[in-house]
Amino acid sequence: MRPLTFRKLFFQCLILALILFFVVIAALKFGAVPVSLYALGRDLLRVVLRQSSQISSDYGLIIQNIRFPRILLAIIVGASLSVAGTSFQALLRNPLADPYVLGVSSGAAVGAILGLMAEPLLTLPPALGAVLTPLCAFFGAAITITAVYFLGRRQGQIESNTLLLGGVIVTSFLSSIIVFLMRIVNTSNTRGMVFWLMGDLSTSFQKSVFWFLAAGFFVAGGVIYATANDLNILLSGEKEAMHLGVDVRRVRLAVYVAASLLTGLAVSVSGAVGFVGLIVPHIMRFIFGSDHRTLLPTAALGGAIAMVIADTLARIVVAPNELPVGAVTAVVGAPLFIYLLRRRLA
Amino acid sequence: MAVFSCAAAPSHAQSATHSSTEPPAFREVVDETGRSVRIPQPVRRIVSLAPSLTETIYAFGLQDRLVGDTDQCDYPPDAQKKTKVGGGINPSVEVIASLHPDLVLVTKSYNRLNTVHSLEELGIASYATDPHTVADILSSIKTLADVLGVPDAGASIAGEMQHRLDDLGHRIGDLPPKRVLFVVWTQPLISTGQHTFLADALRHAGAVSIVNSSENWPQVNLEEVAKLQPDFLVFAESQPGGTSREVEKLATLPGWKIVHAVRDRRYAVISDAVNRPGPRIASAIEELARQLHPEAFAEKRPDAKKDTKKEPEEENPASRLIGFAQFSLNVPHAPHGYPSSAGGCSCGH
Repeated sequence: MRPLTFRKLFFQCLILALILFFVVIAALKFGAVPVSLYALGRDLLRVVLRQSSQISSDYGLIIQNIRFPRILLAIIVGASLSVAGTSFQALLRNPLADPYVLGVSSGAAVGAILGLMAEPLLTLPPALGAVLTPLCAFFGAAITITAVYFLGRRQGQIESNTLLLGGVIVTSFLSSIIVFLMRIVNTSNTRGMVFWLMGDLSTSFQKSVFWFLAAGFFVAGGVIYATANDLNILLSGEKEAMHLGVDVRRVRLAVYVAASLLTGLAVSVSGAVGFVGLIVPHIMRFIFGSDHRTLLPTAALGGAIAMVIADTLARIVVAPNELPVGAVTAVVGAPLFIYLLRRRLA
Repeated sequence: MAVFSCAAAPSHAQSATHSSTEPPAFREVVDETGRSVRIPQPVRRIVSLAPSLTETIYAFGLQDRLVGDTDQCDYPPDAQKKTKVGGGINPSVEVIASLHPDLVLVTKSYNRLNTVHSLEELGIASYATDPHTVADILSSIKTLADVLGVPDAGASIAGEMQHRLDDLGHRIGDLPPKRVLFVVWTQPLISTGQHTFLADALRHAGAVSIVNSSENWPQVNLEEVAKLQPDFLVFAESQPGGTSREVEKLATLPGWKIVHAVRDRRYAVISDAVNRPGPRIASAIEELARQLHPEAFAEKRPDAKKDTKKEPEEENPASRLIGFAQFSLNVPHAPHGYPSSAGGCSCGH
C-alpha cells in the first residue's frame, strides 16, 4: 500500500471543504424568501465580527435562525450517512451495501418512532427528552444490523449476497412494522411522521440535539477512522486480514456499532434519506481511490456537500412549499448509481 | 393602535400590565392545546395556517390584518390573493418569518407540531385551536375573537351560528337520525371517526355516522359498509359537479354495488365548508339536514316566508348582518358555486 502523505490528504480535504463552503453560501442565499448576496455578505460579516446584535434585517434573522441550523443539520446527516455507507461497503466488501439496503435505516426509523411514542409517557427533563429519539434510533439500528448480520452468516462466514438479501427482507418486514405503528399512534403525529419517513430536514431542534449529533458523529467517525488501515486490509478478504494480524472480530464489532450509531443519529433527525450513503462513497472512491484513510474523511465532506445541495433543492424547487429531501436524493442518486453500476460492468 | 390594546385590556384580567405609551405590550393566554402563549398587543399582523382560521378572520372583518395564509385558503376568494406561505402541512417558516406576524394561527388537527416548534424557536407567537365538536367550534370562534381584540364580532357570529343550529334542532327534533357514511376519500375508503367535529356536525344535521372508530380518519372496510348499509352516503365537494361524476363511477365498481345507497343513488352532496371548523359550518350542517330530512323543511319553509313577523326572532337577521356583512365586505359575489350561504339565506328571507 502506498504511504499516505498528509499533504495530499490535507489538500484533498481542503478542496472539498472549499466546495462545501461555497455550497453553504449558496444554500444560505437561496430559499423561499429572496435574499441578496450583498445583504447576506453584510450579515455574515457581522456574525464573523461578533456583532450579531447588529443584525437588524429580518433576512439576517431568517439566515441565522432558519437556514443556518438546517444547513448544519444537513452537513451532519450527510457526513454521517456517507461515512456509515463507506464502512458498510468496506466491512461487507460489497459496493451495494449502505444503511438503507441493509435495513439499518428502517431499524433506526422503528426505534425513532417507538421513542416518539414513549416520550409523552415518560416524564423526562427536556434535554434528555430531546435525545431520547436519537438514542432509540441508535438501538433500532444496532439491533437491526445484528439481526441482518446473523441472517447473512453461513458456517461462521459472512456471505455478501445472503447478507444483502437479508437486509432487503428485514427492510420490508420493518416497513410493515412502521405502517402498523403509524396506524396505532395518535393521528395528528402521524402526519408529521409521514414527512419524516420520506426524509425531511425541516424539523427544528434544540441546541442540545446539535451537540449530541456532532459529538456522536466525531466519536463514531473517530472509531471508524481508527480502523481505516484494518478496513484497507479487510478489502482483500477476512481470512487474509486475519493472517495479516488484524483482529477481524474486534474491528467488525467496533465498526458495526459506530456505523449503526451514525445511521441512528442521521435517521432520528432526518428520516429516510436514501442514496447518500451509497453514491457519495462511490464517487469519492472514483476520484480519490479506495484507501480508507483518504476515503473516510473525503466521503464525510462529500456527503455533507451532497446533502446540503439536495436539501437546498428540496427547499427551493417548489417554494414556498417543500419537497422531502429523500425524494431529491433519490431522483439524483438512482440514475447516478445506475451509471456507476454500468461503468463497473463495462 | 393604542385604542385596540385599551379595548382589549380591560375585558381581561389576564392582560399584561399595560402602559399606554409603550407599544410592546403582551398578553398571556392559554390556547386550546393548553399551551401558554405570549401574544403581542395589539395583534396587527396575522398569519393563518388553516382555511377555517382564514375564514374566521374574514368573518371577524379582520382581513386587513391577515398578512399571509396557505395554499388551501380559498374562501372567501379574496383570501387567495394573500401572500401564500405554502401548504398548511409544510409551510415555509422562512416566508412566515419574513411577514413579521404578531400572531400565527394554527389548528391542531390540521397543522404539524413541528411547525409550531419552529415558530417558537424564532420567538413568533402561535395560537392553536382544537375543536372536537360543533359547540367547540362556536366557543373557539368566540375565544379567538377575544384574543384578536374583537370580542363583539366573535359573540355575534357564534350567536348567529348557535341560533341557526337551534332552529335546525327544532325542525328535525324528533325525526329518527339517518344512518350515513361520510366519505372523505373513496379509494381507499376513508371516513371520519367519533371524536371529530365532523361526526358531531353529522349529529346536528340529524344523521349518525355508521363508522364507530376512535381514529380520526379511519380507513373503512367496504364489507363493513355493506353489512351496516347506510341510508345515505355523504360527500363534501369543493368543485360543484365533481362529486356526481365520482359517484357515478363508484356505482360501476363491483364492490360498491352491494352498498344499497350506492345502487339507489342515495347521496347527499354538500359544500366542503363542512370540512372546515369555521363560521360556515352551521350553513353546511343546515344544507346536509335539508337533503337528509327534506320533510322537516318542506312545510315550514313557505310558512317562514309568509310569516314576516316571526322571521326576525327566528332567524335574527341583525346578527347575521353583523356576522356576514363583514365577511362579504371584500367579496361582493361571495359564493363561487357555493350553495350553502345562498341556501341558508333563502330560508331566512
